[in-house]
Amino acid sequence: MDHALQSRTKALTDPKIFRAAAIDSFRKLHPRTMIKNPVMFVVEVGAVLTSIQLVRDGLHHAGAFGFGLQITLWLWFTVVFANFAEAMAEGRGKAQAETLRKARAETMAHRLRPDGSVEVVPSSKLRSGDEVLVTAGELIPGDGEVIEGIASVDESAITGESAPVIRESGGDRSAVTGGTRVLSDEIRVRITSNPGETFLDRMIRLVEGASRQKTPNEIALNILLAGLTIIFLLAVVTLQPFAIYSSAPQSIFVLVSLLVCLIPTTIGGLLSAIGIAGMDRLIQRNVIAMSGRAVEASGDVDVLLLDKTGTITLGDRQATSFHCCPNVTETDLASAAQLASFADETPEGRSIVVLAKEKYGLRGRELAPHNPAFIPFSAQTRMSGVDLDGHEIRKGGAGSHREIRG
Amino acid sequence: MTANGWFQIGVYLLAIFLVTKPLGVFMARVFGREKTFLDPGLRPIERLIYRLCGVDENEEMRWTEYGAAMLLFSGASLVLLYVIERVQQWLPLNPQHFGGVPQDLAWNTAVSFTTNTNWQAYVPEITMSYLTQMAGLAYHNFASAAVGIALAIALIRGIARRESGTIGNFWVDLTRCFLWVLLPVCLVGSLVLISQGVVQNLKPYATAKLLEPQTVQVQGPDGKTFTQTITQQVIPLGPAASQEAIKMFGTNGGGFFNANSSHPFENPTPLSNFFEMFLIFAIPSALTYTLGRMTGSPRHGWAVWGAMAVLFFVGVTTVYWAEAKGNSQFSGVNQATTALQSGGNMEGKEVRFGIANSALFATATTDASCGAVNGMHDSFTPLGGMIPLVNIMLGEIIFGGVGSGLYGMLVFVILAVFIAGLMVGRTPEYLGKKVEAFDVKMAMLSVLVSSVTILVLAAIAVVSKFGTSGISNPGPHGLSQILYAYTSAAGNNGSAFGGLNANTLWYNTSTAIAMLLGRFFVVIPILAIAGNLARKKTAPASLGTFPVTGPLFTILLVSTIVIVGALTFFPALSLGPILEHLVMLSGKSF
Repeated sequence: MDHALQSRTKALTDPKIFRAAAIDSFRKLHPRTMIKNPVMFVVEVGAVLTSIQLVRDGLHHAGAFGFGLQITLWLWFTVVFANFAEAMAEGRGKAQAETLRKARAETMAHRLRPDGSVEVVPSSKLRSGDEVLVTAGELIPGDGEVIEGIASVDESAITGESAPVIRESGGDRSAVTGGTRVLSDEIRVRITSNPGETFLDRMIRLVEGASRQKTPNEIALNILLAGLTIIFLLAVVTLQPFAIYSSAPQSIFVLVSLLVCLIPTTIGGLLSAIGIAGMDRLIQRNVIAMSGRAVEASGDVDVLLLDKTGTITLGDRQATSFHCCPNVTETDLASAAQLASFADETPEGRSIVVLAKEKYGLRGRELAPHNPAFIPFSAQTRMSGVDLDGHEIRKGGAGSHREIRG
Repeated sequence: MTANGWFQIGVYLLAIFLVTKPLGVFMARVFGREKTFLDPGLRPIERLIYRLCGVDENEEMRWTEYGAAMLLFSGASLVLLYVIERVQQWLPLNPQHFGGVPQDLAWNTAVSFTTNTNWQAYVPEITMSYLTQMAGLAYHNFASAAVGIALAIALIRGIARRESGTIGNFWVDLTRCFLWVLLPVCLVGSLVLISQGVVQNLKPYATAKLLEPQTVQVQGPDGKTFTQTITQQVIPLGPAASQEAIKMFGTNGGGFFNANSSHPFENPTPLSNFFEMFLIFAIPSALTYTLGRMTGSPRHGWAVWGAMAVLFFVGVTTVYWAEAKGNSQFSGVNQATTALQSGGNMEGKEVRFGIANSALFATATTDASCGAVNGMHDSFTPLGGMIPLVNIMLGEIIFGGVGSGLYGMLVFVILAVFIAGLMVGRTPEYLGKKVEAFDVKMAMLSVLVSSVTILVLAAIAVVSKFGTSGISNPGPHGLSQILYAYTSAAGNNGSAFGGLNANTLWYNTSTAIAMLLGRFFVVIPILAIAGNLARKKTAPASLGTFPVTGPLFTILLVSTIVIVGALTFFPALSLGPILEHLVMLSGKSF
């Protein structure tokens, strides 16, 4: 997911988003869309009323036309601006999603034809039931199940676990997620999801705001705003009888503009834009909120407990120093470790080679005369090493050493 | 404005402050069914009542059952009063031989007393027999007050309880409120009032011979006017003191006499005046402490009290200022305060109370849903008369009616907490309970009902002949009269602006509707909130929780009330009292 999140802040004035939002803000004037936001719907109805009155005044040359025109324009501007703010926020979300989608399309998969030969297709072409071959260093192209082989997989992007995990066919460790990286070995994966249903797709949809649902607090706030709107609507509607009693009946322009001033137009107009913008801001900070509800819940968090330190690190463990046993010099250790790690292509193995080079100036030596036999790292042995003129140098976890030495 | 006036306002506020904690603790103990010093005398009576009525005092009710019991009780009480009024001519204790009360008036009065409004479209001393006054009206003064307090206690329980389906037993709350709170205080209160000269007897009206016979022009039944010489005066009497104490203590406000607390037999001395004002605010103020104690956060109780006290002080200061300044149109008339005259606008005020005490009484009676008056609000200056109107429009939550003030205020507390919670970016919490969509919906509903009732009914009245025929002054003052009538009815206040002839079919019917809506349609959403809050879990307060104690919360609460209330009614007020004030400054009065 890292590459997907590298999409940077889109400038507010990105002309493409701006233009799309401007068009959208007029398309959203449709009553069916507007009714979802009661406060702005009331403003729109007011704008329609004043427009009708304006036309009638214009035909009869009655009333202060300039005043009426000005009020009507302000009202329409208020409605359009609220729509524009929402369209703008949606547009920025869509731009983010576009970046994510591009990243997904770049992943190429090695699909196995029924006859066993391999063809290269974009991951978006994969269907449920397809079988793909993923070798060390490649991204798994889609959600699926390992049907052959065993591999260590870096799932840090999705689970946050920095240490690679073992995925093998059969048993309960066979599920793999699209977008994670195979670090060693080679596996055959049967894809289990169609395009548009993967984990990544769900995230993209979320970012686009397509599956955005109102959060509990937003619902409660909408009730409050609708309630206030009803109260103030009545305050204005009943003002006219009082005004008639006082023999000073008011024009529809005055009443509608008073209403728009009273009802919570600002917060009502910008509420959905705020919600979308909030998710968008999180994305910019490399956080994907699965729902608005989650964002709200995180506001209620008082204490954060993490069950492991790796959750917020990248998935490549790096060697930083050598610790020697008694009677062993650091240079000897570094040299042996480097030799044993030449055949280890995991980030950890590579980092040992690099550390030995940087710290002790050990470079790749001419090993050919010594008849080297490299033993590559594999998920099964969890070990790598080299045999040199009868010397066996091995590197791996304590457990794996115990198994070999017996 | 004089030092003496400020001093009296200060002493009043201090007295209210001092009674808050002891009475609050006492009520918390009574409704928490803890031991009190009155138990030895009252427990046997209480048990007897339960046995007679078949009530199990340990049974708890859900909010729906509680509401149903409350409606059943109120409905039965309403019918009882209606029947008494209609048949009073055949019942005893009717020395003046008054006939039955007409249908629409009897209905209006029955609704009015059941809803703790005590709107009086009749003149008591020429309409109601002593029996009706005692068994009908005084009984309702107790009953409607007890119902209000019980509802407030139910809401407090809802806030205080955790994961509970029930909010108490209505019958137990009602009975304990009668026996422990209302009856003992009113017994003592009546005696205090009698000591000041409030009448208490069952004698027929007294007749006195006038020292100086009066000659008046009278219109006969045939439409001709003739001159009549009056030589004697009828002086109404009756059991006034016993009704006066509960009229104030239960924030009912229905006067024994038409002139209410400005009548010398109801409110004879400045001391009785102070005592009556003290009784108005005693329970509403103390309930804030009961809230604090029962929810385990006394400082929250004081924060709510603070918001009430601030709004009260602003109100009383404004009225006092407006009335003491006098009428700007009396050029050349000395309106200064001296040792010999009160100064200011004394029209419609009693000289034994003066400007400060009239301003204080008018503010207190409309802050609370009392509605007793010791001066005529109709005769106040436009701004001085606007404050009582605004006080009721805000929902009578500035201390407010017994019980109703607190539950009305708690609705605003919930709204304030909700807004504050969203501002700090957390799910709003009120004393550990999450405030969610349902609570906001119910809170808005109860705020909506009274605003809608006032505005819609007043709007119909001002543009219809049957509405405007009742007003006595044209122009903006007439609008104020109509607005005040519906505000008073929907707010269950019951004070009259005066000047409006409300005993017509239209006003009797429409104000009765306003009173019913203003009481029961406000209360049911509140009970729903109580039931819903009781079910919730409580989360412990943390650093991020918005505190509901302290001055910050008080300021927020006051702002919420003022913004919602002021914005709703400002358009209407601007054509009534505000316009009248501006016109008065330019030299015209109504």
